Amino acid sequence: MKIRFLLPVLAVVYLAIPYLWGGNNYVMSLLVAAFIIAGVALAWALLANLGGMVSFGHSAFFGVGAYLSALLCINYRLPVLAGILMGGIGAAVASIAMLPALRLRGPYFALAVLAYANIFKILAMEFKGITEGAAGVTNIPALPTVMGFDFSSKLGTYLVIVTIVLLFTGSYHLIRVSHYGAALKAMHDSEDATRVVGVNSTLLKAMMLFVSAFMTGVVGAVNAHYINFIDPDYAFDLGWTLLPMVAVVFGGYRTLMGPLVGAVGIFMLDQLVFKALIGTGHQIMLGAVLAVMVLFSPDGLVPLIGDKWKRIRRAQA
Amino acid sequence: MFDLILQATYSGLLSGGSYALIALGLALVFGTMRVINLAHGEFVLLAAYIAYTVESQMDWNPLLALPISVVVVCITAAIVYLLVTRLDKNREMNSLILTFGLGVILTNLVLFIWKADIHSTSVGWFQEAVVLGPLYSMRSELLFFITSVVMVAILWVWLDKSWYGRAVRAVSSNRDAAKLMGINPHVTELISFLIAGILASFSGVALYCASVIQPALGNALTIKAFIITILAGIGSIPGVLIGAVLLGVSEALTITLLSSALQELTGMLLLLFVLLALPNGLFGRAGRRG
Amino acid sequence: MLKLESINVRFGGLAALQDVSLLVDSEDMVGLVGPNGAGKTTLFNVISGLVRPTGGRVLFNNIDVLRKPLYARARMGIGRTFQIPQPMHELTVRENLLVAQRFGTGSVNQSKIDEILDFVRLSDKSDRNAATELALTELKALEVAKALAIQPKLLLLDEVLSGLETAGKRQFMQMLSDLHWRFDVGILIIEHDIETISSVCKRVCVLNFGKLIADGTADAVFKDPEVIKSYTGESGA
Ligand SMILES: Nc1ncnc2c1ncn2[C@@H]1O[C@H](COP(=O)(O)OP(=O)(O)OP(=O)(O)O)[C@@H](O)[C@H]1O
Ligand SMILES: [Mg+2]
Repeated sequence: MKIRFLLPVLAVVYLAIPYLWGGNNYVMSLLVAAFIIAGVALAWALLANLGGMVSFGHSAFFGVGAYLSALLCINYRLPVLAGILMGGIGAAVASIAMLPALRLRGPYFALAVLAYANIFKILAMEFKGITEGAAGVTNIPALPTVMGFDFSSKLGTYLVIVTIVLLFTGSYHLIRVSHYGAALKAMHDSEDATRVVGVNSTLLKAMMLFVSAFMTGVVGAVNAHYINFIDPDYAFDLGWTLLPMVAVVFGGYRTLMGPLVGAVGIFMLDQLVFKALIGTGHQIMLGAVLAVMVLFSPDGLVPLIGDKWKRIRRAQA
Repeated sequence: MFDLILQATYSGLLSGGSYALIALGLALVFGTMRVINLAHGEFVLLAAYIAYTVESQMDWNPLLALPISVVVVCITAAIVYLLVTRLDKNREMNSLILTFGLGVILTNLVLFIWKADIHSTSVGWFQEAVVLGPLYSMRSELLFFITSVVMVAILWVWLDKSWYGRAVRAVSSNRDAAKLMGINPHVTELISFLIAGILASFSGVALYCASVIQPALGNALTIKAFIITILAGIGSIPGVLIGAVLLGVSEALTITLLSSALQELTGMLLLLFVLLALPNGLFGRAGRRG
Repeated sequence: MLKLESINVRFGGLAALQDVSLLVDSEDMVGLVGPNGAGKTTLFNVISGLVRPTGGRVLFNNIDVLRKPLYARARMGIGRTFQIPQPMHELTVRENLLVAQRFGTGSVNQSKIDEILDFVRLSDKSDRNAATELALTELKALEVAKALAIQPKLLLLDEVLSGLETAGKRQFMQMLSDLHWRFDVGILIIEHDIETISSVCKRVCVLNFGKLIADGTADAVFKDPEVIKSYTGESGA
């Protein structure tokens, strides 16, 4: 997971994939969608792994980021990149409303956040003066052209979202190896022991909620500028929570790569295999993957493979 | 204005009664196992679609679907129960994710078999009006309400008097102590899942007779049921009934006084209020949520 | 330094502490004894912030700390150990101290950590997983080390000696008597065993059924008939 690992990843992501499929709009659009999910999955996993909180409400952050960025860019002519940043910040601000839920235990937190997500969706429907209500926001400005390169193209958007996701992965890594990361890790199984040595556990959890919300908001905003149209049902769809959750449970939430691999894997499976085989109702397989993974490998597939790999290497040594 | 409010309260009371029947199964399972079964709404949905099939395919009265629904839904409930018991680590959280996944499976199964169309009963008898003084309702609504109240009452008396009821209460207040008293918690838990299945079957058939059904409904029903369960607090059957009526009436008043789009908001705000401000729900025993 | 004013704690119908008042100075090393269930750990919980008393005041350096959360009290200099060791999971021994030092004092000082590790004789175990790879004596030592890492002014030690075999116990006692001057810290220590406590503490307080029944020099306290009765009559400990 060090440089040895990073360089090949960068080479594949920035050179090999654009070189092989850069001109193929179908493949590129699949990858963009997959990395959108990956971004949310990463944010979700950060909250679960570091904050110890399982959220059923990430669609709230996704929708707030999408709406805020779209509306700022349309109504106040904000540059798209600034809008995306504001989308993230807005989502983080929105998460302040959820702070009271932090003192609830796991399942209750999850359900409380689900309620928040529903409330945000209803508000987006009802504040018609600002959000256009159920009609949705159209003509959202596309990603800009910089130095002659059109970032609104499929390839351009791919490069943007991949860069964002990699930056987020890096930030996640930095948090995880910091003292904050150590304290957060310790809080899971020994919260009192951590608090009596001076760790403000509520504040740390709140910070993870902000970071996770920010990341999700940014991704939601990018998506809005990519597809140029949003309405409350779409932007706040429970699917923005379900798919990343399945991805994380599939890929494993303990590792950095788990959510990314899980997201790309699950999304491709869903789009290319399940949809083709089943058609209407193909999400049944997502439910099945979720159930099977929780039953047989709650830590995900990647740790499972990782363990095997370690065992094989140890056996060889 | 007064008439409107009175009518809204009445409608809210009726729908609250029917919510109680839906929520009771969830509350019972939650009480015995501390598991929030996020697939519960889908149990109701499944029963409703069986009623639809019985009516549309065999041309029978949808009420005759009850026996089949009970069998199918109880088998489903038993499967869900068996899967939940397989969780060993962190059951409280993982069961939430598991049943959420199972709910997605059931919803999509319904979607796959019956497609996304909206259905409602074509038996005209159900839709005829019943007028009680200034108050108006459909026959089916009243029927649903009465069924609901009767079943809640039966269950209440039964839980209060029977051996099983005592076992449920023992298991839900202290699992280990119950074991020492010779109660097998697994049997108790399975029974509560099966009762939840039976209640869901009645709710589903009644729902089909009283309103329109579509695959996405399962999720909405689950949410209503857990709002009520949280309102009621752990282990209070009258709490479920009162919580359900409270939800139904607040929704109806919201629709009349504000806007129908805000109906769902009422429930959500109620849920958050109870979660954050009332640690034991309205009527429940102490149980830690923090 | 620490001043408790008529602390009361009730758990439902049980009065766990009744009107407990106590003074501990920064040079003090005070023993706190009492039979099982007397309320000793509860008193520590009140001081460190895990339990909010139903009545009374807790003053630390003349500041009322009752409204201050756990972590704030730790940063003010109240360090404690747990009767059942609670290492921070998923971290190594060194990381445990690092987190304690970083959050308890606001900065990291590796040489100080080395010094503490050396003092509690965990230097060669510093890379072990704290929760899974330590023996009981080592876990107890880690408890003390974590509390020291926050640079406490007051150290609350909850039965750090119980459960240790004789050799380990002797070593630990030596360590305790050094603690006081090495780290310049006032100490309140819970201990069951009277001999142990009289050999390390000059001053001893006795809790029985939530009441403070004696406070004085070890010799005087253990001659007090009421204390003897509480030890022999009711609990037999
Ligand atoms: N959180 C709590 N809730 C309810 N009762 C409690 C709680 N903590 C402690 N008690 C009760 O308060 C009484 C005092 O407990 P405490 O742990 O303070 O005793 P102790 O003196 O430390 O005993 P020991 O020597 O066994 O450690 C006991 O009866 C205990 O059961
Ligand atoms: Mg104790």
